[in-house]
Formats: sequence, C-alpha cells, structure tokens
Amino acid sequence: MAVQQLEPAGPYAATADEDVLFDRRNAWIKFQDRIFVPLTIVPTVVASLLVFGIPLAFSLLLSFQGWKIDSGLFAGQFVGFANYQDLFTDPLFRSSLMLTIGYTISTVLLELLFGLSVALLLNSRVPFVRVFRTALIIPMMITPIVAALTWKLLLDPSYGLINAILGTNTVWLGDPDLALIAVGIVNVWQNTPFVAILLLAGLQSLPSEPVEAAAVDGASPWQTFRHVTLPLLMPYIVVAVLLRTIFEFRSFENIWVMTGGGPANSTKLLSVYTFEASFLSFDLTLAAASSWVMLFIVLIFCVCFIFATKRKEIQ
Amino acid sequence: MAGFARGKRRKLIGNVLTYVGLVTLFLVFVFPLLWIVGISLKTREQIFTNPPVFFWVPTFENYVQVLTQSDFLASFGNSLMVTTASVTLSLLIGIPASYTFARFRFPGQSVAMITLLIMRMLPPVAILLPLFVLFKAVGLSNTLASVIIAYTTFSLPLIVWVMKDYFANLPKELEEAAYIDGASRMLAFRKIVLPLARPGIVTAAILSLLLAWNDFIFAAILTNNATRTSPVLLASYAGGETGTNWGAITASGVLVVIPVIIFSMIVQKHLVQGLSSGTVK
Repeated sequence: MAVQQLEPAGPYAATADEDVLFDRRNAWIKFQDRIFVPLTIVPTVVASLLVFGIPLAFSLLLSFQGWKIDSGLFAGQFVGFANYQDLFTDPLFRSSLMLTIGYTISTVLLELLFGLSVALLLNSRVPFVRVFRTALIIPMMITPIVAALTWKLLLDPSYGLINAILGTNTVWLGDPDLALIAVGIVNVWQNTPFVAILLLAGLQSLPSEPVEAAAVDGASPWQTFRHVTLPLLMPYIVVAVLLRTIFEFRSFENIWVMTGGGPANSTKLLSVYTFEASFLSFDLTLAAASSWVMLFIVLIFCVCFIFATKRKEIQ
Repeated sequence: MAGFARGKRRKLIGNVLTYVGLVTLFLVFVFPLLWIVGISLKTREQIFTNPPVFFWVPTFENYVQVLTQSDFLASFGNSLMVTTASVTLSLLIGIPASYTFARFRFPGQSVAMITLLIMRMLPPVAILLPLFVLFKAVGLSNTLASVIIAYTTFSLPLIVWVMKDYFANLPKELEEAAYIDGASRMLAFRKIVLPLARPGIVTAAILSLLLAWNDFIFAAILTNNATRTSPVLLASYAGGETGTNWGAITASGVLVVIPVIIFSMIVQKHLVQGLSSGTVK
C-alpha cells in the first residue's frame, strides 16, 4: 500500500529527537510546509481578483448606475434596470444581437462540418499525412490581426486574389449582404483546423473493435461512420461546438480590421457594439450593461461546457 | 486472384482521392498565407498588376523599408518586452499554484478551478472598459505595465489548466522520498518536481507567449502610440482603406507571424490539449 497522505513524513518522525538545533530546523521546515499551500495559491487569487474580479464587479455596479468618466469611481446614482432598458430598446443593439446569433451559429456549424471532414481525411493512413497535419496548424496559431489583414488583401476588389480567381469584381467588404459572410470566412478559415485537430485526437482515441465488428457484419463505410464512429465521437463534438461557440461569440479582430462594423452596420456584432459604446461614444453605463449581457450569455455556455466535460471525465 | 487485384485497385483509388483531398486542404489553409508572403517579396508594380503575377524574381525591398522604419521596430520591441515580462511573471505565479492544485486539497479549490476556466472563456471586450477605468485610476493607463499585468493574469488559466494535469501525472514517490529525507515541500518542489515538469512548463510558456504576442484588444485600449504592440500597429494600417502600401503591410505581418509559427511547431503535440483547457487528453 502506497502512502496515501502527502504529509511529509520526515519532520514529524524526527520530533522525538533530543537535538535542539535539529528541532529548530524542524520547526522551520514545518512552518514552511504549513504556509506552502497559501503561499503558492495567493498570488493567483490576488491577480485574478484585481484584474478580473474587481473590474467585473465594478462593471456590474456601473450597469445599474448613471455615471460619467469624469465623476469619482463610486459617485454614480443607482438607476435600476434603466441601462438595460435603454439597451434593449436600442434598435442597433437588437440588430447586433441577432447578427451575433446568426454569425455564431453559422460559423460554428461550418467549422464543425469542415473540421469533421478534415479530421476524417487526416485520419487516413497514407504516407506524409503528418506533413499536412503540421501545415494545418499554421492558420490556427497566427496572430488574428494578421489573418484578418491577409483576407482583407485577398478580398480586395481590384487587386485581390479571390476576385482574380473568380474573374469577378465583387466588392466583398463594401456590400452589406456580403460583408458578414466575408468576415465570417476568416474565422472559419482560422478555426476549422482547431476543430479538425481536436476531432482527430478523438478519432484516434476511439477503440477499433466496434468499427471492425461493423465491417465484419457487412456494414458499408457510410453506415459504419453514421452508426458507430459518429456516436462514439459525440463527446468530442460537443466540446468542440461549445468551445467554438464561446470563442466565435467574442469575434472582434476580424471585423474590426476588415469592416469596422460596416457597411451600414451589417457586421456590427455585440463585441463591436460594446467596444464602440465603451471607447468611441463613451456611453459607459450602456457599455457596462451590454458587457453584462455578453457575459451572461457566455456564462450559460460555460456552465454547459463544465457539465459536458465533467460527464466525459466520469466515462 | 481477381478479387485481390480489384481490392488493390480500389485501395489505390482511395489513396489518390485522399491525396486530392489533402492537397485541396493545403491550398485552402496554407496557400493564402504563402500568397501574402509572395506579396511581401514583390515590387509595388508587381503587386498592383491585374491579373496577378505568379512568377517573379523576389525582392527584399519591403523588408528593408519595414526594418528601417522606427514605428515597426518600436512596436516590435514593445511586443517583445510585454511578452517576455508577462510570460515570466505568469509562470512564476501560475506554476506553483498549479502544483498545489494538483497535489493538495484545500477549501474553495473547485470554485477556484472553475473561476479560472470562466476567466479564459469570458469575452475580453466585456471586461475592457472597467479594466481601463481602473488602470486609469491607479495611474497605469498607456503604460506597458498595464498590458503586462493584463496578459499575466489572463495567462494564468491556461497555465493552471495545462500544468495541473501535468503535475497530477507525475509519480508522487519521488517527492515522498524527499520528505522522508527531511526536505520541505518547497525544496522538494524546486529540486525534484520542477526539473521533471520541464516539458509541461515549455508548453505552458509557449501558450502564454502566444496569448501575449497575438493579443490585439487589450493592447488597443491600454497602450498609446509610444507603447503600442505590433498587432495594434498592424491594425492601424488597415484603418479604412489599405492604401497602396501592401508591400510594407505584408512584410510586417510576416515578421510578426514568424515567431508564432516557430513556437507553435515546438508545441504542436500539446496545442489542442492546452487550447481546450485540458478537456482533451
């Protein structure tokens, strides 16, 4: 039986020793051991409280107050839900909420669809498949601003590669009907590799027996995939979808660089709306309320994520 | 015999189709970036030719222009400084904490882990405003210190979720042997655990490095023209029209991305595990 407790055995075992010097050294080690847990945890807790907890609490307070940037930190007046009311009666906010929902659902679905196909492709045992897998990591890791600039140049109406290939003169980012699709493409391009590699890890961790059994029973490759592989892969798909939903919901860089929310607010998602309220129109209480709407929505997905991953740990 | 030949042919066709798929994959996901690298190696006349030039003699004039430009060098230096400082600080704070999370039980532990997870998930734009107000209140607005503090803190969830699993998988026996020999927990952690955890620490360090290096939104708000980082400078090129200076834009973009690609390759095996907050082993 291995030692279960992590109590350091040494110092306690030696306390019977008569040597005073040894006792003093022992006391010092005991003291160090006693403060070890707090000593290692406190810096993380303090940093999280100062940079995350306090700002969050402050913006929650702000969202229920009337407040201006030149008034004192806590000089605001309590106004109840007035800021939230202003927010939900603002047509721009409502349209940005709807746009965000549509944008998030479509980008995540596309990432899942392409990601799954890419994962199946990368799971085939052909020579050099690893080279392609490595290459796929590049778009997923590059600086988002650079990815956005890359696509801004590729989609340029006069000299962009996309129009040159298609033989068109489409003004992708200037057309309200196309701009959201164009900025979505960047994120689908950047994050499909993430979904693919996550699902590939899932595929490679699956037991081979069920697939072999299905083949023996004469199932077609499609039947095997649909009724054996896909259900087994489901926990990974759930994690991928939840993570991507949480991260697509916050999309900002691609939009900010490519369209800045335009044309005609057609790409003004919640993140851009919140950013503009905070730092362009300086409507701070409205921005705080809109921040908390975003936070609340993401929190729901976080809870789902925590439950989804808990269940997997039990299996 | 005939069946064997047919099976072989089918396998060949399957392989060919797989390679067609893989090459398509490469064209979609990597070619756009190669095209941008290509633009950075063209002269202005070659860039603005329609239809585009596919074969040309590369020129480094754009790189020369960017690297002799004080704007780019200053922002690159700021990025280097901010990244180095925040990675160092977040490792110093996060690694001992991860070890304690892995080896000890203490009140509030699961709440702390979940809070760290939520910290990673919440949209930065939603916390930017109060952070900006508070940094202003303590006189840190427009300083590199403010960005370093932000990156250090927001790296902690990444580090703790990666390193907690790593420490938990190390054998306890070595530490226990050290305790029996009279070592304190701190000594055992420093002399025995840390050297064993080096590969995990490298992964955690690179993930936090990428967070700081790639971030735009915190730096956009917390810095000014003197303290801005590379992504902020790059984004300013894109303001409105990209103009005619594509050579400089692409060359700076390539220079900013090269370190990212090098470091991603080092940790590629652990990348997904780290980015999915330890949910996938």
